Parts: sequence; C-alpha cells; structure tokens
Amino acid sequence: MSLVEIKDLNKTYGSKQAVHRLSFGIREGSCVALLGPNGAGKTTTLQMLAGLLAPTSGSIRFNGLPAQADLRRYIGYLPQQGAYYNWMSGSEFMHYSGQLAGLSKKEAVQRTNDLLDRVGLQEARKRKIGGYSGGMKQRLGLAQALIHQPKLVILDEPVSALDPVGRREVLELLKEIRKEATILFSTHVLHDAEAVSDDVLMIRDGELVLSGTLRDIRNAHRQPVIYIEEDVPQALQTWAIEWERLAHVTELSYQDGIVKLVVEQPDEVKQQLLQQIAQHRIPIRRFELAQTTLEDLFLKVVSS
Amino acid sequence: MRTWMLMYRKELLEMARNYKWIWIPCVFVLLGVMQPLTSHLMPQIIDAAGGLPEGAVIEIPPPVPSVVLLETLNNFGLIGVLVIVLSSMSIVSGERNSGVAGMVLVRPVRFLSYITAKWAGAMTLVTCSLLLGSLSAWYYTELLIGDLSLLDTLYGSLLYLLWFAVILALVVFFSATLKGAGPAAFLSLALVLALSLLTGMLPAWMTWSPARLTAHAASLLTEGQLLDLFWLNILVGVTMIVVLLVSAAALFRNRPLVD
Repeated sequence: MSLVEIKDLNKTYGSKQAVHRLSFGIREGSCVALLGPNGAGKTTTLQMLAGLLAPTSGSIRFNGLPAQADLRRYIGYLPQQGAYYNWMSGSEFMHYSGQLAGLSKKEAVQRTNDLLDRVGLQEARKRKIGGYSGGMKQRLGLAQALIHQPKLVILDEPVSALDPVGRREVLELLKEIRKEATILFSTHVLHDAEAVSDDVLMIRDGELVLSGTLRDIRNAHRQPVIYIEEDVPQALQTWAIEWERLAHVTELSYQDGIVKLVVEQPDEVKQQLLQQIAQHRIPIRRFELAQTTLEDLFLKVVSS
Repeated sequence: MRTWMLMYRKELLEMARNYKWIWIPCVFVLLGVMQPLTSHLMPQIIDAAGGLPEGAVIEIPPPVPSVVLLETLNNFGLIGVLVIVLSSMSIVSGERNSGVAGMVLVRPVRFLSYITAKWAGAMTLVTCSLLLGSLSAWYYTELLIGDLSLLDTLYGSLLYLLWFAVILALVVFFSATLKGAGPAAFLSLALVLALSLLTGMLPAWMTWSPARLTAHAASLLTEGQLLDLFWLNILVGVTMIVVLLVSAAALFRNRPLVD
C-alpha cells in the first residue's frame, strides 16, 4: 500500500533541469533511501515533497487525501542544514514547532518531553540552542520533525555532517523512528542506506536510474568477485593481463596491488587461479572470494 | 489566527531576548528628553561655550512648548527612522539565510501570516518606543518650558506612527525580496529619503504622499489644525502597507527557500 505517489515530477531552474520526470511510490511503513551523488537533485526532490518548493510540473499525491490538501500537516522535515532560533532553548523550539504544526500547548509539552527523552536531549532541554553541538542540533532536528506524529518523515542528509559517533547515534534513532513512521531520507553515503533502509531510489542528474527493495537490488545485481592481493610490489601486474583472458572472467581491474576479478563461475576460476599461483609460486598475501557490494553497483550506476 | 498569534508572540520574545526591548525605547526616550533639555539650557550652554562677545546683544526668544515637541518629533523622524530601519533590516532575510525560515514554513503556516506577524511584532516595539519618547518629551517640556497639551502630543505622535508603519512595511518588503540586509536597509532609507524630499520640494505634485503625515503633525502642533487632504494621505499610507506586505508574502513564496 503506497503512502505517497509521485508522478512525472519536474523542476527546472532557468535552462537547468534539476529533476526530470521522476516517478516513484513510497510504501507505508517503509524506510526509503534516496541515493545519488552530489548535485543529482536529491535536495530539490525532497524540498518539493516537503512543500517548500513548487514543482514545475508533476504531482505528489498522498493516499486518501485530496489533491489540494496542504501536505505540510502530514510531513515532518529536516533540511540539510538544520537551522534553529539560537536564542531559544531546546524545549522552547520544540513547543513552538509543535504548536505551529497544530498541536495544543499541552500536547506540544507532552510530545516534547517524550521526544527529547528519546533523542537524549532531556538534560540539555533548558539550554540555549546556540550552545548545542552539531550532533545535538541534528538530534533536535529529528525530534522537531517528529513532534506532530507525521505520516511521512523527510530527512535531507541526516548524517552527512556528523562525526562517526554522531552518525551512529542518528542511525540508531532512525531505526527507532521507522517503527512508527514512514521515512524518506537522502544520502550520498551508501553504507548509511544499507544500514537502515528497506528500499532505495538511486538518482543521477535528476533522473531515477534504479529503484527497488534493497534485497531485490542486491540479489539482481550481485556477482561473485575474487580479490587477490600481492605480497611483493608489481608481482601481479603481468599476471593480471593473463588472467583477463581466462574464461568466465567478465571484468578485471588491477589497482593498489589488488587484482579484482568479477566472474561467472567462481569455483572454476578459483581452481584455475590457485593452481597457477601454486605452480608459479606467485607471491600473494590474500585470496578472497566475495560478492560485489551495493557500493560497486552504486559507483557503476552513478558514473556510467 | 492561532498560528499568527504564536509567531507574533515569538517575535516579541525574540526582541526581548536580544535586548531590542531595552535599547530602542532608550534611544527614543533619550531623543525625547534631549530637545526640551537643550532648549531650556540654551543660555547656559552658550555661556559655557565661551559666551557672547562683549557688547553683543542677542535676544534669545523663550522656547515655545509646541515647537519644542515638533523638533522632538523631527528627531524621531530622522534618527528614530534610522534606528528602526537598521534594527529591522534583516527581519526576514536573516531567518531565510540561516535556513530557519524553512523550518517554520514546512509547518502548515501561511506565508502572509509569517510576514505580517513579523511586521506587527516590530510595529509593537516601535509604537511603545515612540509613545515612551513622546511622553518623556511632553513631561520635560511641561516641566522646563511651559504648558503643552497631552492630547496634541499624542495626536502628533500617532501621525508619525503611521508614517513609521509605512517605513517598516517597506523594510519588511525589501528584506523578504532581497538577499542581504545591507541592500534592504539602503533601498528602504533611499526610498524614504526620496519620498520625504520630493514631498517637500514638489508640494503641488505630492499631495498624495504619506510623507505629508509629518507635515500634518507639524501643522497640528503649531497652527492647531491639519492640512488639506489629510484623509487621502492616511488612505495612501494604509494602502501602501497592505500592498507591500501582501506582495512581500507573494514574492517570498515564489523564491526557493534554500539556494
């Protein structure tokens, strides 16, 4: 059951087409990652969904709501650079956001208490936001996006600006949030998408290039791969050229002393390689059988 | 209306937190006290500055209360306007540039409410400051110089207040449509100055100008009556405010919030 249907969404700035004929749906209760390199149109897309930017053409429909409805009531949004009134305290900002979103004063206070507890800002709630760290601001941003229990939570690069600790905290929070709301978040870091999302949408130059559930994509595009790392510099250089001609090897690269072979029949190729290595006493440090990762796919999709 | 009140109260709170509620009324009170005080002390000031040359006979006419008040209002119109414009020049652009406007406008909030709440918030501060300034001018004139009608003082101040409301709408408009605070302040001041100068220099053509509100105040205080076309000037002033605020909201809406 899809919560939101996006059809033929376009946005042009002058002659530049930022988003081009984007169509996709978001399943209710899912966590969707919008992936793409910088400048692919992720932020523009999210801003249109959040109602901050009028699309040039195309439609955004919420399931069960008339086309003219003010969607902002059902959406929680955290922009890329969350900005706050630095002179307010954390809880004041939450109360203000909640009441603007239509909560009563009492509800806003209650939700604030609840959410600040969950994002770990209960101690800091009376301090001025101007004194918060980047990670604290991001957690406050998450809390304010959730204050009115939105149907859809839109997060623009929620972890990109954070250090590893803050990143882990926010990802953990996302896992919590997804239990009660549908999430759409953008990122250019694939690892984050893999960590929390079920569905991915990959866009490039404003166009959708790949979409589906994470598992389907992984299965459909997974290929066996063999890594061989040399022990002596340049030891594998000549061998790499030779191996490229082996049967069932579809792709070979030699970089930083590591040969990477994308293969079709891993067992057969493995046998051949190991035999050669043993026979010619090729100095290797590592021989590994693996699968192509989503990252490989992402890089391929994005750069092709 | 509920969200409008919320945003309006937030404006008032913000101005309290960054001390605008202290320093802007202080400026107006200071301006209000200064004129009666210097008029009263003029002979002593001249003495202290070295006095008049021997044998010079200059009659300094005793200051007239209504003229002293008028001079005070003139100061409000110059220095007060400068303070108002400079203190509110980033009223919209500041929030837009920092991105916090985006956080507010993803809420179900009307753009017009957002803009008018800002104008009304600043207007509340200006009203209080101007009234405090006028009252202190009235008190010191009464104390040091002579009888002055409190009612006339209030009428004169209200005419200036409407003129200030037009100026503030101008600042809000430019702040919502331009990126920087500097250009907004410059354009607002330039337009106010141009309007005032033209109204003074081409009185026959500028009878509609809301800048004439200050002339009405002057006439009211010195002659005891308003000039012609008073209601036209009021009408043009109010219309300008409405048009500026509505178009500010419309233009604000059509520009992407984050560039």
